[in-house]
Amino acid sequence: MEDFDTLLKGSAAAHGHLCPGQVIGVRMAMLGCDLIGLDNPSVLPQIKSLIVYVEIDRCATDAIAYVTGVRLGRRSLKFVDNGIMAATFVNLDIGRAFRVRSREASRKLVENYAPGIEDKHRQQLEAYQKMPQDVLFEITQVSVDVPLNDMPGPTGFKAECQNCGVVVRDKKEVYKNGKVLCRICAGDSYFSIQ
Amino acid sequence: MFLKQASSLSAFVADKNILQTMGNYNEMQLKQNELPEYVAKKIKVEDAVGTTLAHDITEIRPGAFKGPSFRKGYTVKQGDLCHLMRLGKRHLYILDLNEDQIHEDQAVLEMATALAGPGVTFGSSPREGKLELKAIYDGLFKVQVDPLVEFNLMPDVMCATIHNATPVIKGQTLGGTRAIPLVIEKESLEQALEIPRKAYPLLSVKSFQKVKAGLIITGSEVYDGLIEDRFQDIVEKKLISFGSELADVVILPDDQARITAAVRDFLNRGLDMIVTTGGMSVDPDDVTRHGIRGAGVDEIYYGSGVLPGAMFQLAYKGSTPIVGIPACALYHEATIFDLVLPRLLAGERPDNVDLAKLAHGGLCLNCPTCRFPACTFGK
Repeated sequence: MEDFDTLLKGSAAAHGHLCPGQVIGVRMAMLGCDLIGLDNPSVLPQIKSLIVYVEIDRCATDAIAYVTGVRLGRRSLKFVDNGIMAATFVNLDIGRAFRVRSREASRKLVENYAPGIEDKHRQQLEAYQKMPQDVLFEITQVSVDVPLNDMPGPTGFKAECQNCGVVVRDKKEVYKNGKVLCRICAGDSYFSIQ
Repeated sequence: MFLKQASSLSAFVADKNILQTMGNYNEMQLKQNELPEYVAKKIKVEDAVGTTLAHDITEIRPGAFKGPSFRKGYTVKQGDLCHLMRLGKRHLYILDLNEDQIHEDQAVLEMATALAGPGVTFGSSPREGKLELKAIYDGLFKVQVDPLVEFNLMPDVMCATIHNATPVIKGQTLGGTRAIPLVIEKESLEQALEIPRKAYPLLSVKSFQKVKAGLIITGSEVYDGLIEDRFQDIVEKKLISFGSELADVVILPDDQARITAAVRDFLNRGLDMIVTTGGMSVDPDDVTRHGIRGAGVDEIYYGSGVLPGAMFQLAYKGSTPIVGIPACALYHEATIFDLVLPRLLAGERPDNVDLAKLAHGGLCLNCPTCRFPACTFGK
């Protein structure tokens, strides 16, 4: 894995701007990978060992994806919409996982680690780079049993919606009123047809 | 037996005596019928690509990491060789399966795949040939009991579940399945897998519909204000617990014609379910069930094999169920309503046979502190 400065520069470029979220995301990813014994997660063979669950869709998430190489399309990046600045790093080969959560209290300590900087944005950028790990993050060893239908690799599960005929992969179908349905036909839709 | 016992210990391979014993089995070249079902073979690390580890390999990085870097059952890849060398490994014990055999962890993944129908999932990392089956969403857990029994009669495999028709929530454990020996013959496994494949879905979770229900509270004593109604609160709480809602409530006297009119009104307004309370016994003033019949229903079933709830009535007009709850539901925390409501919300259409089948397990023990559903009632 490259050093922090190089990763932060690359992450900011990939994300589109440098922000405190990039600093937190890069540090979170480096720490998470270290905790589960992966030193080069974005290339083979380690790329196949890692799954990351992110709990928020904000800047830090892009940084985590950049550093670790996990991708939604590769099924190695899982989004759990908890609205919490946290991510869980899972080493599939050894069944080891850690959840790293950004401490809310760290926001109030920015002044301590980057005193005298007027601009809040710049102050956060500086402070989050200097803050000790245990001040910035809460680390919890966890157990994650990734469902087989959520694993990377070819899909082993396909069902046909008995209402609209669409093929639903990876056990995302719903059994309702005696019919196997896609989530849309089961009434769980994020859109309405005009 | 000895070998299976050894395999059930997670760190069995750390016991070099056991491995030595296994090695001896290999070397002795016993007659075919005396060969052990499992053999661990020692090979050089550089020859290990594509082989399956017979043991966990622990890594310790002072202050940073301690734990298994490679697990039993892991297939060694080219890129792992340097890592293994760094860990000081020059030789490994690997599983030496012949082409007709399958490891317990791979076997149980195939078993779970065949057993788990819609709404049922399982982990990707079996331990000692075992996996838990879990609900993907809230709903009614369904298990086909006869094929489940048949599956368990097959050698080397098993599956245990919670009871059929249990309401479950997302993530709840529904069952567990296990490959019993460390190594299974593929032919034997395939025979077992045919049972859930033919019975698909052997295990499933039926999603609950969110219904809008109308409630008709009957009883002249309530209508006249002699006593206060307590049914509305009871019914509403039970509907809400499954994500449904009480859309309208009407209180009526024991008047058959008015009850019929109210049922028709709710049907005409397109409510998904109609619930009536009281008036279900054989007393001359108990006319609710007759009032429901008078609305012109398609099917009607009176009486069930459940206590409390013997005088329950279930009718249907089209796809709309009309549920007649007897007065016992005022006294007992759990009644037949708690057994039938989840089935209706799961899209089932219980009939007289289904109501009779509830008799086995249909006796509430009326415990001083109600623990339903964590009890025998309805199981």
